[in-house]
Order: sequence, then C-alpha cells, then structure tokens
Amino acid sequence: MKVLYNWLKEFVDIQAPAAELRARLSLAGIAVDSIEESVAGPVLDAEITANRPDCLGHYGIAREIAAVYRLPLKPLDPKPKEAAEKAADAVRVEIESPDLCGRYTARVLRGVKIQPSPGWLCQRLEAIGQKPINNIVDITNYVLFELGQPLHTFDLAKIRERRIIVRRARAGEKIRTLDGIERALPKDTCVIADASAAVAIAGVMGGAESEISSASRDVLLESAWFDPISIRRASKALGLRTEASYRFERGADPEMAETASRRAAELIREVAGGEILAGVVDVYPRREPPRELRFSRSELLRVMGADVPDGDIEEILAALGFAPRRADAAAIWQCKQPSWRRDVTREIDLIEEVARHHGYDKFPPRLPPAEQPARRLPHADAEDRLRERIVALGYREIVEIPLADPRRDEIFRAAGLAPAKIANPLAEDASVMRSSGVVGMISALEWNLNHGQRDLRLFEIGKRYELRNGEPVETPVLTFGATGLARAKTIYEAEREFAFTDLKGDLDRIGELAGGFAWQHGGAGWLAGGRAARLFLAHGGGSAGPYELGAAGEFGVAGQLARRIADQLKLRQEIFVAELQLDQLLAAIEAARATMRFAPLARFPAVERDFSVLLADSITFAQVTETIRALGIPELQAIEAADLFRGGQVPAGKYSLMIRVTFQSREATLTDAQLAGFSSRIVAALESKLGATLRSA
Amino acid sequence: MTTSDPTTQTLTQLGKTNSDGVIALFADLRRRFEKEEAYQVLAGASAFNQWQALQLSWLGRKLGVLSRIKDNWLKPAPPDLRPVVGQEFQKLKAHVEAALEEKRKEIESAAEESAAAREKIDLSLPGVERPIGSRHIIRQTFDELIRIFLSIGFSVVEGPEIETPYYNFEALNIPEHHPARDNMDTFYIEGARTPHLLRTHTSPVQIRTMEKQPPPVRIVVPGKVYRRDNPDSTHGYMFHQIEGLAVDADITFCDFKGTVEYFVREFLGPHAKTRLRPSYFPFTEPSAEVDATCHICGGSGCRVCKFSGWIELFGAGMVDPAVYGFVNYDAAKLSGFAFGMGVDRLAMMKCGISELPLLYQNDVRFLRQFP
Repeated sequence: MKVLYNWLKEFVDIQAPAAELRARLSLAGIAVDSIEESVAGPVLDAEITANRPDCLGHYGIAREIAAVYRLPLKPLDPKPKEAAEKAADAVRVEIESPDLCGRYTARVLRGVKIQPSPGWLCQRLEAIGQKPINNIVDITNYVLFELGQPLHTFDLAKIRERRIIVRRARAGEKIRTLDGIERALPKDTCVIADASAAVAIAGVMGGAESEISSASRDVLLESAWFDPISIRRASKALGLRTEASYRFERGADPEMAETASRRAAELIREVAGGEILAGVVDVYPRREPPRELRFSRSELLRVMGADVPDGDIEEILAALGFAPRRADAAAIWQCKQPSWRRDVTREIDLIEEVARHHGYDKFPPRLPPAEQPARRLPHADAEDRLRERIVALGYREIVEIPLADPRRDEIFRAAGLAPAKIANPLAEDASVMRSSGVVGMISALEWNLNHGQRDLRLFEIGKRYELRNGEPVETPVLTFGATGLARAKTIYEAEREFAFTDLKGDLDRIGELAGGFAWQHGGAGWLAGGRAARLFLAHGGGSAGPYELGAAGEFGVAGQLARRIADQLKLRQEIFVAELQLDQLLAAIEAARATMRFAPLARFPAVERDFSVLLADSITFAQVTETIRALGIPELQAIEAADLFRGGQVPAGKYSLMIRVTFQSREATLTDAQLAGFSSRIVAALESKLGATLRSA
Repeated sequence: MTTSDPTTQTLTQLGKTNSDGVIALFADLRRRFEKEEAYQVLAGASAFNQWQALQLSWLGRKLGVLSRIKDNWLKPAPPDLRPVVGQEFQKLKAHVEAALEEKRKEIESAAEESAAAREKIDLSLPGVERPIGSRHIIRQTFDELIRIFLSIGFSVVEGPEIETPYYNFEALNIPEHHPARDNMDTFYIEGARTPHLLRTHTSPVQIRTMEKQPPPVRIVVPGKVYRRDNPDSTHGYMFHQIEGLAVDADITFCDFKGTVEYFVREFLGPHAKTRLRPSYFPFTEPSAEVDATCHICGGSGCRVCKFSGWIELFGAGMVDPAVYGFVNYDAAKLSGFAFGMGVDRLAMMKCGISELPLLYQNDVRFLRQFP
C-alpha cells in the first residue's frame, strides 16, 4: 500500500525523516519497499502482510509508528454537524443474512453537489496512485485509504422504496457492476439489494444502476462489515478484486465501520455541501464483546529466550491498543483484544507484538547444541558416487521442470501408465507431470540443438510421475541423453560421432559401481529396433519396470531414439537416451560397496594369446566368452574382442573375430606347454560348440 | 682419387720393400684420413652427407681406400712383408671405423638437439581436452546448503511433490479461504482418488516428519515446489526450496537467531550481517524475514538492494503452536523454529544469474559456467 508521509503526520507527530521511518517500520514488521517523492510529499510503498488488515489505511500505520516511537496517536472521533431530519426516517436497512454481513450502517446526505474534488484531495489520491473521479466517490476512496474501511455510496433516488436488504444472491440473479460488465452472481454471494433487485455486490463492487452521477442529489453512504470468507469466495468466483474486497477478505474492523461513516459524512459535507441527516441506521447483528487475553513473562521467556523489561511490555501493548493491566505482583498482564486486531487471539500473538516492537535485534543469538547425530538421506553416499562417476564420464547434469506437454509425454509413456494430469494448467504444453524422464531429456537436447549446441552429453536425476489406482506415485529416475560428436576434431585427433557403443560403454562404467549391468535386446517402443536394450542389474534385486515384460533385475532401457520419433520431433541428429530406475541402481551400488574385497595382485606375468576365427553372424560375443569360460581354466584372466570385420575375404554370413585371451597364474610363470594346452582346448571348444573355423594364424 | 694415390699401386711398384717403409706408408694414410675427417666433415645441415661421402671413400666395399689397400697392398704383398702389412691394415681399419662411428654419433646427437629446438611445443596451444561433466548449479547449491546444516546437527529428509491439501495447507494452519493462499497459487492434480496438488512449499514435510517421530526434531528438506505463476524472469512453474525445522523442549527465538546467523555467515562469508524483520506466515509465530547485507554494495545501498543495504534471503520463524496441534505435540512444553529458503534465488544471487529460466533451459553454454 502506498502511504503518504504527510498524511501520517495528521495522526502522529513524526519527527524522523522518511528514510529513517522506512528503516524503523521495516524492523517493526511493515516492510517499506521504496520511497518516492510526490507533490504531496514522500510516498512510502509499504508491504502489508495478510494478517494486518488494520494497516491497510494510514491510521493503522500511524498507530504502528506511534508504538515504534512511543508517541501519542491522535484519537479518532469525527463529529459531523447533522440536520434535524433523521436518517432512520429516510432509509430502512434489513440484514437477511447475518452470517454474511455482521454490521451495516447507513447515513443519508441530502442536496450534495457532485463536482470534481478540490486540489488537496486530488493531489493526495494521485500521490497514492488513485485516479480522482468526483467528489463523492473520491471521499469514499479517501476514507478507505485513511481508515482502511471500504465505503460505498448510492444515489438514494435509485434505491427503490428506500430499502436496503442485505441478502444472498438469488438463483440466476445478475447485476451490471460499476465497470459496465453484467455479471451472473455466484451462489451464496452477499448482495446489497433494494426492494426489487441487487444494487451492489457486497464488499466487492457497486452496481451501475445506483451509481452516483452528476445528477445525484441525495446520497446513501454505506459502511459495513462483511464476512471475510464470503467476500473472498465471491471475489474469486467473479474474478473481481477491488480495494474493498481486499480489505474485507482480510477482515475489516466492525467498530471502524461507524467511525468511518462519520468521517466520510463530515468530509462530503465539507467538499460537496448539502446536509447530513441525523444519526446513523446501524444494524449490528454480530457485535462481539472484546476478547480477554493474557500475557505472561514466563511464556515470553520460554518462547523468546530473553527478557523484556516491564515498562517496555506495558508501553508496547498499550500503544497497540491492548490495554494491559498487570494482574498482581506476578508478571502477568490481562489484555483486551481491540476490534481492529482480530488476528490477535492467543498469548503467542501478544508475544509477537511485544517482540517485534521491542526489536528482534535485541534478542541475543545462540547456537543450540546438537544432541543427535545428523544424517544424510538414506542413499546419499551411493548417489554421490554415482553422480561423481557420471560427471567423470563427461555428462553434464540438467534440471528440468517436470511439467510436460501431454502430446510429447504420450510418446514416451509406458503402456498402461496413468499420467498425473494437472487439473488447472496455465499452458497446454505444461499440463501433465511427466511420465518419463526422457521427455525432459529430449526437451533439453532439443533446446541445445536449436541453439547451435550440437555435441551433448546430459544426465538428470529426477522423477517420473503417475497415478496408480488413483494414488500418486513418484519414481526417481536417472536419465541420459547424448548426441553429436563423442570426440571433437582437434589439431591432434580426428572427430568421431557418438554411437550406441559409447552409450553402452558409459553405462557399463556406471554398472561397475553396481556389480555390473546385463543387456538384452528389446526395450521401449520409441527406441530404434536394432539399437534398443533392456538393462538388468547383474545381481538382480530390481523390481519389474514399466517397460513391458518386467523381469527380475530389469531396471531400465537404453538405445537410439527411433528415427520416426526423431523426425516427429524434428531432431536431425542421432539421439541416444537411457532411463534407469534410481532406487534399484542405488541399492545395487550399496550392495556392491558392501561386498567390495581386495584381490591380491598377481606376482607372475600375464600372457596373451590371440585367436582369429570365422563365426556365423548369428553367434554373439557373449556366446564366445561363455564357451571359453565354460572350460573352467583357472588361469583365464580376461577375454577381449581385439578385432572384428566383415567383407573382403570373409564369406557372406560370417564375420572374422580376433579373440584375445589373457592367462595368468597365481602360483607360477605359465609354461609353453600349459599355454599350448589352453589354446588347443579353446580352439576345440569354439570349433565344436560354435562352429568356428580357425583362420591361419 | 689421383694417379699419385699410393693405394692404386702395389708395394713393389711403390718401391717399399721393408717393414719401415710399410709402416710409414700406413702412417701417411692415417694422417690423410684425419685431415679429410677434419676438413671434409663439417657441422651443420649437410654434415651427415659429408660423413657418408667420407665413409664411402674409406670403407666403400669396391672403391674404398681400405678395399684398395687390401687388393693392391695386402694380397700381392711379398711373403716377408705380409704380416706387417696385415697388422698395419687392421690397425688403420679399426681406427677409421671407430673414428667414423664416433663422428656419426656426434652428428646425430647434434641433429637431434637442433631438431628438438626447432620442434619446441607451443605452450599456448590447448592440450587434448577430454569431455568433462558437471553438476547443475542447483545441485551444487543444495550440496552447499546441506553441508552447512549437517554441520549443526540437521538431518536431511524428503517428501512427495504431489501432496494432499491437508499437508500443504490445513496442517500448516492455512485453512481454505485464507488470504495467505493468494501467494501460493496452486496446481491441482486431476483424476486422483482423493484431492491432490503440487506442493507449493517444502513445509508439508514438517508435518510428515513430526507425525512420524517424537521430538527432538532437527531436519532440513530439499526439494522441488510448484506455483501456478505465469513464468517471467523471476517466476516459473517450479523452483527449489530447502525447509528447516528444529523442535525441542527448550528451543527459543535466540536459538533461531543463532542458527540463522550461523547459516548466513557460512553461506555468504564471515562478513555478512544478518537482520531479522518481523513478518507473517500462518505456520510460524513470531515470524521473520531474514535479510543479509547486500552482497553487491556491502550494505551502503545500491540498485540491487533498492538502496536499503539489505537483501531478503528467506522467511522463517518460531513454529506456530497451532501446528503442534495437528501432529499431537504438546505446544505448552515444546517450541521450535522453521525456515524455508528459495534455493534458486540463493544460487542466482550468489552467481549473479539474472534470469530464472536460465536454470531450467539446460543450455550447455550455461551449464559449462558452473564446473
């Protein structure tokens, strides 16, 4: 709220300049964002928290300032000069719905002259960002910003039968509001009606029909208290927020309603002439006696941890209107809740009042000793190791907003998965919680490709979301994306494209932490047929994934994005992606870590033997290694694929594979005879089991 | 080769009939070799060619000086002179070979040195760069925040992002139609069996934790939160928070202040000052905004801090007793404090990142800047 320094001065004799006032108010709980100069003096932009509707007017802020500087606050008791005719004879007020309207006051002014407001009034309103309209409307606005009480004026001639009825809107009832829009009134909206129709939406906006115009002569001045929740509901349902609704929904001061009415009447008479009818028509069904509150030093000490002197406690509580009375010799004060502080209902609320005006800075800092060990998240160590490995492999971590475009999300969604859709999205392309981490990964790759960044290796540790039997489920996932060059061209090296084998190699390096991954053809439908794999934890432990078929240990998919999907997404480069379920992976990392054991280093030399064989295309490298391992040679250390080619002298349907086998004994240097023995057994096994033919060595 | 070259003639033709004459003859040849070596093989680029020519003229298989000696002197030598000729021949041969070999090495090492000098590595050229990954700046910031709070006894816990209105609002003393909900526009989930929403803050985990464990509680909660705000340079649909909660029998506002001040010094440096400003949150009372001295101007006032010298860091306060009612804690005996920090804001502030969307575009040109 914009606050005029000079307006405040009418209620409290501030000596401090605006800049100092800003700092002091901020430390008392009214944050002042900025100070601007205006023709009406300095304007403070104050941020009023939702619990302080009493500070949505200059008088309330002046009360805070009075408490800050321990200065007197000018009492508020306008005494307008009234005519002999009684207001009660000119208008009748009925409240049909006291649950929606706790108090309604009406005053009547006759013979006013509608004209532009005088200079001082326009200046003040303009300084706080309000556009002057005419003297009557401007006065109600002025009093709203002065006292925080919203007011409304009707052209009395337009009020049928001079009757005001406060009631619920009728089914199908409509009203054209001041802004010229015809609005259907939602159920349970509180309206101000005359004998036949609604003339205003209570606490939100007046109706156009009964609006003050240049022809208006007699004015009905409304000052009321409406139920905060009902105003909030109506304002939300209508999509209509006004200065009035903003105050009523936070809770106006029912006592202020009548005072503000007097203040406005006095000002109207001053600037618009006419006469004020005697008295006020005041219907007050929800008058509440002031609540008794208790403040004790012991509770202050328990919560705040440091003391505040008696004198300060009493001065602060008195300045804020709590009328403290020290009960007896004990440090207990009986207080009264003022009508403008509906937010203060408990002792803790009073403690806050005392603490903030005493000054938070006066409480000494103390670092409480920790009595329990601090724990990281259960799998934090495994996740650190995982992230460290991924980063070492050259992948950059990304963070995506998990709200996805459903058309995209669908592409990567596992069959049968029910997505968690947003009921009230702001944009269609962010209207579902992603069903797969791949959706986000593709967005990140796409963004980069569209911004000239072509060589990418990215990963994300995030979640995918779904509804299972109507219950939300969040599954942590680790997602990879890579495209472009695996190695850039430099003056030293030639360039090389990232390929499926890079992805496989990288994932297997990660697998090393988790006891190894096993690969099988298959996987998600959005992967390219021949380059799609399902991943298994070699030591099992995983649960069935969402990727079809789920088998023990299966925990992810990896491969090349299918061309038709890439085309659909306008991605020209080959895209490689993988998604692994994080929980299974972390559990496997922890298990592998727990069983980590040292193997003594070999003391005798290792010997390599190469076998060049021709194999049918249907034979896999895994079959080769299994066949050799099945021989059970204890000295066998490693089996590698040293070279592989097709074509040339190799007949169609076959390929040439050079297998490099490493032997090493823990007991002795291997002899030529031993090695010859191993070799012949291996050759024989490859020939008989896999139909291999040995190429001339 | 001239006709006067003695090696083209036999010993007899040269009139050498005794061993002294033979020895003198070989001595002449040796001097001649040394002279040729000294004058014909020079340092420099062609040294090796000159050496090759010398080697050919002395050791060449057909036309070399030593071959001619063998053919013209040794083979036809009279029997009495043969031993001395043979002896002298071997001596000369060994000398020539050794000298030439030594010369070759000399030339080679000189060549290597000059080649090395020529091919000196240009240290201003880049080395071979292996691709290196990186952690996201949000992850880095979380790690830093968590490290600070672990050091003063806060354990890390997490909670779901898809929450119920009860945990997100009601149990935090934010009933329906509370104006505080204005600042937390909410995304709701469609089709769930019971109402669910995307949590607007990490605070629901306060409730979930207190429901599960008796006091004392000392936790921090990192995670994603969501607001139904139209995206701009400081707002997005999603951002990150870290929540803190400490509840025990004797936790006071002073403990709260000490903890917050410790955090600010650890995070922003030992010179950063802290200021608590009274504020309002439905689930804390007394509530505070925590400010730190502006990192740009150091407190003297600048555009970034709107000339106040202070930057707002996060909201916090003493746990409102109403919250204890929702988790069956005894509000008369317990007290505690809570805070909720916007991690994105802290990261942006610390690294001078101007626009929130940069954090989630995942442009590698951005990611690279936080190695």
